[in-house]
Amino acid sequence: MRSLIPLLTAVRNAVALLLWGAGVLWLVAGGRLSTYLHPSLQTFTMVAGFVLLLLCVSSVMGLAFMHREPVGSCGCDHHHHGEDHHHGDGTAVFFFKALVLLFPVAVLLSGNADRFTTTTVANRGVVQDLTKLPSANAAAVKGIPTSSPAPSSNPGVSSGKTSGPMPLQVIDMLYAIQMPSYREEFEGKEVEMVGQFVPMTTGTPKGDRFQVIRMFITCCAADAKPMGVTVHGDTLPHVSEMQWVRVTGKPTFPMEGGKRTPILEATKIEPCEAPSDPFVY
Amino acid sequence: MPAAQWFQFSLPDFQYSFLSILLEGLPFLLAGSLLSGILEEFLPPSLLARLLPSNPRLAIVASAFAGLLIPVCECGIVPVVRRLLRKGLPVSCGITYMLAAPIVNPLVILSTLAAFRGQGAVEMTCLRFSLGVFVAVVTGMICTRFAPFSILRPGILGPEDSDHHHHQGPENVSGRLMNVTGTATRDFLDVSVFFILGAAAAAFFGTAINQEVILPLASSLPLSIASMMGLASVLSVCSTTDAFIAATLTAFPMAAKLAFLVFGPMLDLKLLFLYGAAFSRRFILLLSTGLFLVIGLLCWRIGSLHLSW
Repeated sequence: MRSLIPLLTAVRNAVALLLWGAGVLWLVAGGRLSTYLHPSLQTFTMVAGFVLLLLCVSSVMGLAFMHREPVGSCGCDHHHHGEDHHHGDGTAVFFFKALVLLFPVAVLLSGNADRFTTTTVANRGVVQDLTKLPSANAAAVKGIPTSSPAPSSNPGVSSGKTSGPMPLQVIDMLYAIQMPSYREEFEGKEVEMVGQFVPMTTGTPKGDRFQVIRMFITCCAADAKPMGVTVHGDTLPHVSEMQWVRVTGKPTFPMEGGKRTPILEATKIEPCEAPSDPFVY
Repeated sequence: MPAAQWFQFSLPDFQYSFLSILLEGLPFLLAGSLLSGILEEFLPPSLLARLLPSNPRLAIVASAFAGLLIPVCECGIVPVVRRLLRKGLPVSCGITYMLAAPIVNPLVILSTLAAFRGQGAVEMTCLRFSLGVFVAVVTGMICTRFAPFSILRPGILGPEDSDHHHHQGPENVSGRLMNVTGTATRDFLDVSVFFILGAAAAAFFGTAINQEVILPLASSLPLSIASMMGLASVLSVCSTTDAFIAATLTAFPMAAKLAFLVFGPMLDLKLLFLYGAAFSRRFILLLSTGLFLVIGLLCWRIGSLHLSW
């Protein structure tokens, strides 16, 4: 078995490169990379997917070379042009590394790894104060992921659109808390907001409130910070936790607990599809 | 705080966070591995020796600033350092470069300036840069007192450290290219094993621990510094963007944020595992303890100065 380890290692490495590269490109092709990464990083990862496949091709060519050139034919104890230069791994280490290298592929194929549950939302807390989100305007600094909470470039708000509900983002309501002139543009008007449903365990004595959240990310989903507004309605929607919902209603900003709180008075709540880009940056 | 409040685990959240960290770090790890392959094939050890000052102490100081010329972030740094060590770079210089590069990286300097705008950006950026360089240089100086074999993982300077597998004689372009990709592949997969374990640890703690648990510690300077270093480790955010996270932790004093920004790029959870690809466990343990204490004490001292920022 031990004598086969170099060959098996070369095969394992080629398979790992193939699966990793194919996995990345599968996410790219399905438009799912955006559910993991900030847009400024997606291109790097996509290129990495292609490079992994190229390395896989190179490894396979190395394997073919290895097949032709017996060990020691050049006077040393290893092969060339492959990944089999060092033979230090024993059988146990070989299998351990194989398991570790294939673990991400198993996670990807499990199909569970594309959104957070309310556990992480609870552990990170829902932000309603924009000063607790990365707030520096890095847009001017080339090459750096921008982390600039700002009102959405929402044509509905600036034009004072009157026909039908005005589309509004969660971040617009949070921004409006700090900026009264912006608040006046939509306070009390009918708006439509899309976000993820999170039930409230506190702050809802009558049980008629929940939160609509969006995830704010700096780099990737791992650093996501939930931000949200409270929704008040006569009835709670019958949807599962973290389901995407579209809420129609009127934004209000009452003082609660000594601070201005964003509350959407809902008239209609319905489940909807996730937006193509689920994050706020 | 009851256990259920500060610790709640969700497998899908772990999986999601884990894949995010991997997908984010993947291109940088790959870039580091490709650079490693290029260095292996095209950098003669004699050139490396000529580039470094002959004075060992000056060489260490120069290594701390090498990140300005070879900017590599913390995900890609380990394969590069491993290769440079095999090429004959002194271990002390390699460690200094490894610790300082993610901080002296020009992109990191710009992002820190941008993130702390209005919060003493210039002071924070200068302190981060200088403290990072200082800690890296001191660590490098200390490492000169130890034998390389006590610092490095067995085999790092083994048969591959010489020109053992560099066969003499002209080789065509495709052959050299194959050597580059072969080295890059080997380094990438070797280091990936540690990266995956580190990403899993970071994802586990990053999703399962209630981050508000550290908020009560913000009122005490030493506790806030220690907790921010702990948070930097758990979050394992890339050094190019960590300043944006630190700037939002408004409850914490600036010295604690400084500790976050210096300690995180040197020793977060994923790095703790990544370092295992090059260094002995004993050294990693000593390095972790030393960095925690030195950065913590220096930031405590800076915080005690009550600078107006």
